[in-house]
Amino acid sequence: MKNLQREDIYLISRHSNMSEQVIEKTLKENIYHDKKMWQKFLRLFFITLGIGFTTAGIIFFFAYNWADLNKFAKLGLTEILVIATTLIVLLPKINNTTRHIVLTGASLLVGVLFAVFGQIYQTGANAYDFFLAWTLFITLWVVVSNFTPLWLLYIVLLNTTFFLYTEQVAKDWPAILVITLLFLFNTAILLTFIFLDKDKKIKNIPKWFIYILALVSVTFATMGLIFGILDGYDPVFPVLFPIVALVFALGIRHGIQSKNGFYLSVIPLSIIIIISALLLKISEDGSMLLLVSLFIIVSVTLVIMNLINLQKKWNHEK
Amino acid sequence: MRNKEEIKALLEYFRATENKDLKFDEQAIYTAYEKNDDHQSLAIKILSIFGGILASLALLGFLFITGLYDSTAGLLILGTLLIVGGIFINTIYNTTILDTISVSSYIIGFVLLTLGLFKMEMTENTVTLICILIAAVSLAIVRSYIIAFIAVLMISGGILTLIILNHNFELIHLYTSLLAIMLTAIFMKEAKIITLHSVFSKLYNPVRIGLVFSFLAGLVFLGNDFIEVSGDYIWITSVVIILAIMYVLSRLFEVLNISQTSQKAGIYIVTTALLLPTLLSPAISGALLIILISFLVNYKTSLAIGMMAFIYFVSRYYYDLHFTLLTKSILLFSSGILFLGLYLLTHKKLTTNEKV
Repeated sequence: MKNLQREDIYLISRHSNMSEQVIEKTLKENIYHDKKMWQKFLRLFFITLGIGFTTAGIIFFFAYNWADLNKFAKLGLTEILVIATTLIVLLPKINNTTRHIVLTGASLLVGVLFAVFGQIYQTGANAYDFFLAWTLFITLWVVVSNFTPLWLLYIVLLNTTFFLYTEQVAKDWPAILVITLLFLFNTAILLTFIFLDKDKKIKNIPKWFIYILALVSVTFATMGLIFGILDGYDPVFPVLFPIVALVFALGIRHGIQSKNGFYLSVIPLSIIIIISALLLKISEDGSMLLLVSLFIIVSVTLVIMNLINLQKKWNHEK
Repeated sequence: MRNKEEIKALLEYFRATENKDLKFDEQAIYTAYEKNDDHQSLAIKILSIFGGILASLALLGFLFITGLYDSTAGLLILGTLLIVGGIFINTIYNTTILDTISVSSYIIGFVLLTLGLFKMEMTENTVTLICILIAAVSLAIVRSYIIAFIAVLMISGGILTLIILNHNFELIHLYTSLLAIMLTAIFMKEAKIITLHSVFSKLYNPVRIGLVFSFLAGLVFLGNDFIEVSGDYIWITSVVIILAIMYVLSRLFEVLNISQTSQKAGIYIVTTALLLPTLLSPAISGALLIILISFLVNYKTSLAIGMMAFIYFVSRYYYDLHFTLLTKSILLFSSGILFLGLYLLTHKKLTTNEKV
């Protein structure tokens, strides 16, 4: 029987006289992993541990000798590693997933290379130009491989570069401006991927990737608005507010249209937090705290109630 | 949540597997599915927990400002009322919609009650014992996922607190060993436990994940420096966990169709040999136990938790070793080669088995 869930077995067993043996058999046939899955799992387990421990051993070996190596050897070794991994990617015989994983490893090694460079020539760790260089030099790989974890790494790098730039170079930018720009940037990426997914321009964008992007965008929106409210409405606030309102409205619409509970729970939660901050800005005495607490309980309950009703409706439609 | 056609197909499937004497209370099943919102998306669970915590914080702030903290009787009465309220909201209106309210009420109730008890100048031991007792009673009454989960964490947290407060650090070995046995039994005997009583089948999931977290907490305590566990008895936990792993292996042989005694003995010996170097850090074998039992019953949440714990404990193990980098490098490299060897060996063995 396909699509039999654990919950089904539990629920039906509660209302029947099914014996332990029958349930055991049903669980074994439908839920538990069979021989094939175990073989796959064990193979993966051993190869991961094997490669993991062996590379860790090699890295420790170099770490042991690191201080005694000269500049040329240090840079040369890292560069050889980058070149070797990139060559593996070009081998014709390996399958695509391995190729992508190795390329992600190579992208990380590029970062290591710049870190070693920075260490030798004392360019200063954490400097934004280190991350900028790392980002720039893996761009081509990211686009060519189109591998989701690599995209995630790339987006994290872009955000870090920008953040460090505002910390180290553009020190006079107000915090809310930085958050607004981060919000706009991440939302733009999110929208791009949603539309690419819709138009089937890129195949198989995993859901978790879109969810992470959406969470990041909502988090920056919430942070920006709360910052604006508590910090006395900076001139950026009137720009940020309508954009967030528009994006949230679009997000809710997208959630309802695509029958996805994720957007319909994250966005209301963010709105609830923002309204609570607004209430606390008005007054911070006891009765307001009581009001905030009641407001959160009632609004979250209402959101969940609506979500469950919507899910029931979607279920009957399918 | 399923629609009528799907439920019908499900019942047909069960009828086909056991033709004789199988009775369903069909009406009850349909209404249960109609009412059932146990199985909610993760988003809703997180929403209700987050909402509960935020609301509790705001309410605690309110109570703080109004000066309730000065009144012992007020704290005790309100705390008890809130705990009872949290439990009963859930038992009477058994629905996810009210989870936020009951969770926040339950948590605030505990905080207030504890503060009140401390104000009465009770010792820390008595307060902890009372908390464990209340959590145990509520576990017996509630049917809701989240409260049962919190109650399990509260009980094991209370036991750990007792161990630390009284400096009986050796008891931590008993705690982790017992939890290792309980976890293995609960994961392996799923069918037996859920058929015993309908209450067990409702509490099974939250208690299982709660125990996984409690077991991990014990392992973390064993592996860290903030309590001083003497090394003399640490092997007890390791031995219990390794025995549990052996038991899981014996179940695994059934799945993999391994019946030759020589093969079985070989696998037992190799596993023991691999685990022996970790005898003094039971956390590694403990995480391995979580991974194996979770994969055996296909339980993804705790599989992910076990894997993260495994990576963390293994890195701590090598970090804490008092060897030079060179010795560590040789140790790591040779274990890596060993695992690669195992990979090649099993690769061959398992594929030849498949052909037979």
